[in-house]
Amino acid sequence: MKKTLVLTLALTLALTGCSKGLTIFSNYRRIENIELVRAFTADTQGDGVLVSIYGTAGEQNDARMVEKSGPSLGTAMGELLMMPLGREAILSHTENLLIGEDMARQRLNECLDYVERYSETRLDIGLLIVRGSTARDLLKGLSGSDPSAADVIAGLANHIARVGEGAVFTCREVAVSLLENGVALIQCVRGVEEEKLFDARGDLNLEPDGFAVVTEDGQTLEFLTGEETLGCLLLLSRLEAKDLDLAVGDTVATVSVEELKTAWEPVFDGDGALTKIKVRVTAGAKLVSLRGVADVTKKSWREAAERALSETLRAAAQAAVARSQTLGLDFLDLHGITARKHPMKLEAMGRDWSDIFPTLPVEVEVEGALRRTFDIMDSPEIAEKEEMTPWEKLTESLKDN
Amino acid sequence: MGKVDGITQRQLTVLIFVSLLSPMIRILPTSAVVFAGRAAWLAPLPAFLLGRLLLAAMDAFGKNVPEGAGLADMTELALGGGLGRAFNVLTALWLTFYAGFVCRSAAERLLATVYPNGSPAVFIVVMLLVAVAVGAGSTKALSRTAEVLMPILVGVLAAVLLSALPDVSAERLLPVTLQDGKRVLYGSLPVFNVLAGFVYFLYLGGRVRKKPGARPRRFPWLAGLTAVALGVTFFTLGTIGEHLAVSMENAFFIVIRNIKVFGVVERVEAVVVAVWVVTDFIFVAALLMIVSEIWRTVTGAKKRAAFAAPTGVLAGAAAFFIAEGVFDFQKWSDVLIPAINLSFALVLIPLVCAVGKLRKKY
Amino acid sequence: MLKKEKSPPEIAENAPVTVAALEAVFEGCYDFESRDLHIGGDPSNKARLCFLDGLVSGSDVAEQVIRPLTDPERFAGVRGSQAIARLLGGSVYVYTAKCRETLGDLASDLLNGFCALIFDAERRAVTFEVKSPQRRGVDAPKEEKVVKGAKDAFVETMKINTTLVRRKLRNPHLKIKEFPLGQRARTSATLVYIDGFTNPELVAEASRRLEKIEVEGALTSAVIEENIVDRHRSPFPQVISTERTDKFCMNLLEGRVGMLVDGLPLGFLVPGTFSQFMKVPEDHSGHFIVASALTLLRYLSVALTLLAPAFYVAVAMYHQEMIPTRLLQSMIEAHASVPFPTAVEVVLMLLAFELLQEAGIRLPSPIGETVSIIGALIVGQSAVEASVVSPVVVVVVALAGIAGYTMPNIDMGSALRLCRFLLVLAAIFLGMFGVAMGCALIVYHLSSLESFGVPYMSPFAGSEGRHQSRALLRKSMTVKRDREPELKTGDGGEAKL
Repeated sequence: MKKTLVLTLALTLALTGCSKGLTIFSNYRRIENIELVRAFTADTQGDGVLVSIYGTAGEQNDARMVEKSGPSLGTAMGELLMMPLGREAILSHTENLLIGEDMARQRLNECLDYVERYSETRLDIGLLIVRGSTARDLLKGLSGSDPSAADVIAGLANHIARVGEGAVFTCREVAVSLLENGVALIQCVRGVEEEKLFDARGDLNLEPDGFAVVTEDGQTLEFLTGEETLGCLLLLSRLEAKDLDLAVGDTVATVSVEELKTAWEPVFDGDGALTKIKVRVTAGAKLVSLRGVADVTKKSWREAAERALSETLRAAAQAAVARSQTLGLDFLDLHGITARKHPMKLEAMGRDWSDIFPTLPVEVEVEGALRRTFDIMDSPEIAEKEEMTPWEKLTESLKDN
Repeated sequence: MGKVDGITQRQLTVLIFVSLLSPMIRILPTSAVVFAGRAAWLAPLPAFLLGRLLLAAMDAFGKNVPEGAGLADMTELALGGGLGRAFNVLTALWLTFYAGFVCRSAAERLLATVYPNGSPAVFIVVMLLVAVAVGAGSTKALSRTAEVLMPILVGVLAAVLLSALPDVSAERLLPVTLQDGKRVLYGSLPVFNVLAGFVYFLYLGGRVRKKPGARPRRFPWLAGLTAVALGVTFFTLGTIGEHLAVSMENAFFIVIRNIKVFGVVERVEAVVVAVWVVTDFIFVAALLMIVSEIWRTVTGAKKRAAFAAPTGVLAGAAAFFIAEGVFDFQKWSDVLIPAINLSFALVLIPLVCAVGKLRKKY
Repeated sequence: MLKKEKSPPEIAENAPVTVAALEAVFEGCYDFESRDLHIGGDPSNKARLCFLDGLVSGSDVAEQVIRPLTDPERFAGVRGSQAIARLLGGSVYVYTAKCRETLGDLASDLLNGFCALIFDAERRAVTFEVKSPQRRGVDAPKEEKVVKGAKDAFVETMKINTTLVRRKLRNPHLKIKEFPLGQRARTSATLVYIDGFTNPELVAEASRRLEKIEVEGALTSAVIEENIVDRHRSPFPQVISTERTDKFCMNLLEGRVGMLVDGLPLGFLVPGTFSQFMKVPEDHSGHFIVASALTLLRYLSVALTLLAPAFYVAVAMYHQEMIPTRLLQSMIEAHASVPFPTAVEVVLMLLAFELLQEAGIRLPSPIGETVSIIGALIVGQSAVEASVVSPVVVVVVALAGIAGYTMPNIDMGSALRLCRFLLVLAAIFLGMFGVAMGCALIVYHLSSLESFGVPYMSPFAGSEGRHQSRALLRKSMTVKRDREPELKTGDGGEAKL
């Protein structure tokens, strides 16, 4: 009986609003009043921040963009989330955060801190920098589009990775990289022509624009070229697939790089000094298309193609390493790699990594392999040869290979 | 039939396991990472060894204690009536305060994770009221509850950790060298602090009934808790790294926030937080039960149920007034509570038992 | 439970047997028949035949009692005690004959379908069992569907029920002890167990609890269930009740004690544990892997029926971050036109579901089916189309309801339904925290229950971590299995069941 009374009292106290602190109704949201924010943007505006959110409430044609400015991201967002007509935007389903170039340069840590600190936001929100324009303009231009702006941005993020033009790092990855290495990479996008995000017809005119390199103190914001970006993807093992045009003799072969393995080997001399870092990249590719005349079944041709592939990838990787060393920013985490492989030796060296790194030789070796093609076939010229018997064809092909 | 409130050794060890999951998730991985950095995932291992030693010591002290006598009785035997009672009262007051702290800790965790708008009051009140009702009940009911819930808790934890596996990166866990040994040892202290809490459950030792002739079965709670500690630290560190882990109040739950289950459930955080509330509730109920048992021994009362409600009220007061905000609360959580806990669990209580053994009281 | 009353003053239990006294007992009863019989055809040698019309078989009375008794060749000149001795010795062709010397026993026999020959001078009567064959025949169980098993269910007649049990357990050690229940109704109840096998302490405790029952009459199952359980306030069943004779006998063979009550087409078994209420006899008819999968499905159904509505309420009200984006978008859209908050929707739907269920049970079959269909259409389709409730709520509540119907035991299903409501309330006011605390409380309550000394949550709790797989999985019949150790059976070892 007593237990029943106690429990009833417990429930009653929870039920009644007799004391404000004794209910959790302040966390209650009516589901029909919710606006899902699947993407939001942040740009600098004077000394403050302009935040735009793209919220959907069911049907896509109910989607809308709302923006607010404030002295900080937190204040602007706080006002923005409490939308008019009793609606409330929630950030728990946000997939991407787009920030303008100025915002990245000046207030990146504020963005990351907000995402880390706010209880609703997930750390795996993708981070993108919009170059040549403001992130807000991108969102505004996409508003009212079909599919929705959020889907377009999510699709863009997927597309970038799938075509090997870059990789969208999440806020967690950027935050961890900044904390551990003092530097991070962030994917950039830019308008194709004259910095315009949309063409005359209003269609999205965006392309991936490589990586931006940012530092923890916010002082540095550098941008990598396409080749350097490819090199980063190779060395960070983030390349999903990449189509490359290779000049092989008189032909141009388009190959798709799909399989990638990267092996690092720091080399120490007898005195325990780090002399160089060797990296061996094994790349498997398949032949997608061929322009010109070539017998792809011939070993010599394939070897030439593989040499071209290896050289292209090696150049990209070397370019990424060179840029990293020029900037003095270890965004490839060579320090971490060396520390994991030879922690004792590195510690025994006793030298600061920032002294070693800029001049440390890094040898990149790439072994490209053309593993398959969609179909093995002779070029039209070979098919015009005079008729051979099957035995003759076989012996001829064996001779060639 | 079945009117005796007796439990088996296995039931007691299961209760210990389930209860200590509560403080385990509070202190890990942050407390270990503060000392041991990225090697913190190894910290539970030395803690296991230390726990084993303490367990062996307490086993040895309690070997010849007559059936029906708990730690409170042992204390009075060891130190004599007056001093023993005084020590028991001191322990009871500390455990009452600790129960309030655990309640408040659970409430703060709920606020930080899934109930951002609100005050801890409702969670404290509800949890304490239910814990009082349970704490006033029989020990066997509570231990059976722990037996039933244990596989569910372990299953949920295992599923969550496995789901987090794809995000774990060796780069955030390595390198670990021999130089990290000292740091790992320091990092094991917070883990050992939690494991040492088993000592309090020996106050319920008087309820343990041994079947004559049968070898008592125990649940491998120490290995289980160590495995949980290892898993939580490993996965959290492997996902977000040491720097982010140290800066977060509930790093483990931040990791869980990002888990999706086959696209059916987006963030399992709310479920896991709620499931962990159950461990908090069991721990608080057990502490109230232990305190009631101590008071029963001190006052010589026949039943302990009457002490549960006043203990609950005191614990509630402690929960409300221990700190105003989370910053003051963190001081208690990081420094004061661990220090007092270690003093009791590692120093004072074993010392009293050792005195009793030396004086050949049991 | 009623307070013990004194016997009604008009029936003196130990009064001597006379015709006048018996007629006084049954005064005003239109079914009480009384006539003089001439023993051996001699009008000077009379005995009074009494019986309750309807309870006895008229033809049996005529053929087996009156005819031989009035035959001059058998009973010429036989009087008084000699006549009684002959009657008891088999001169009358009835297989049960008793000599009664007290009015209470005599009245009790008449009420049990006996006819009585009263010898006033001797102050004795001889009663013969000539029960009327008018009784419900053995039929298939109505409430517990049989897919692949024996289709004989218990009936209201005790003798038939015990016969059914004896046919399945042809064991001379099978004991059937009788207990009268009910001060006014004097219902006959029996305790069934296997002597030398069933734990004698269990038998003694069951007997003691049966004897302690003080009621007017045992006409409903609740009389047994609520009076013999350890905690009658708990909504969870602690006594296994079944219509099926095979289930009854299987449990006897596991070491349980059974009870049969005259007038109730049910067998009761103790102790009843949670895992027992998850089992059906079909588990032993089908393949052991399939049976194990179905048992696991039942446990999943318990979780679904308890938690689905509460989980939905908690997530929709407080934890929307858990809902996948696309689903949340469609939920927002669906909810836009619904005027009620989620909490009200779910409670309304649950109530509607319960109303439908009750209506379906109460109404006669043809009408009940029609009402169920109309109710489903109205509640399900029309309510959604009228935007009174959203479709997701209908799906969730229907899923929980269907999951509840997979419970083999109706009482367990009812208890879970009650808990479902409580969990929904906890979710409304406290979100996922409330659901967790509610579940913990339910588990605590179940863990605190015992049924005749056996922990209710056995083997999940109180079994030293052993035999837990037995509750969830069925081993092949070719593998020897341990008995449940909590039942402390006489052989205590392995057995093939």
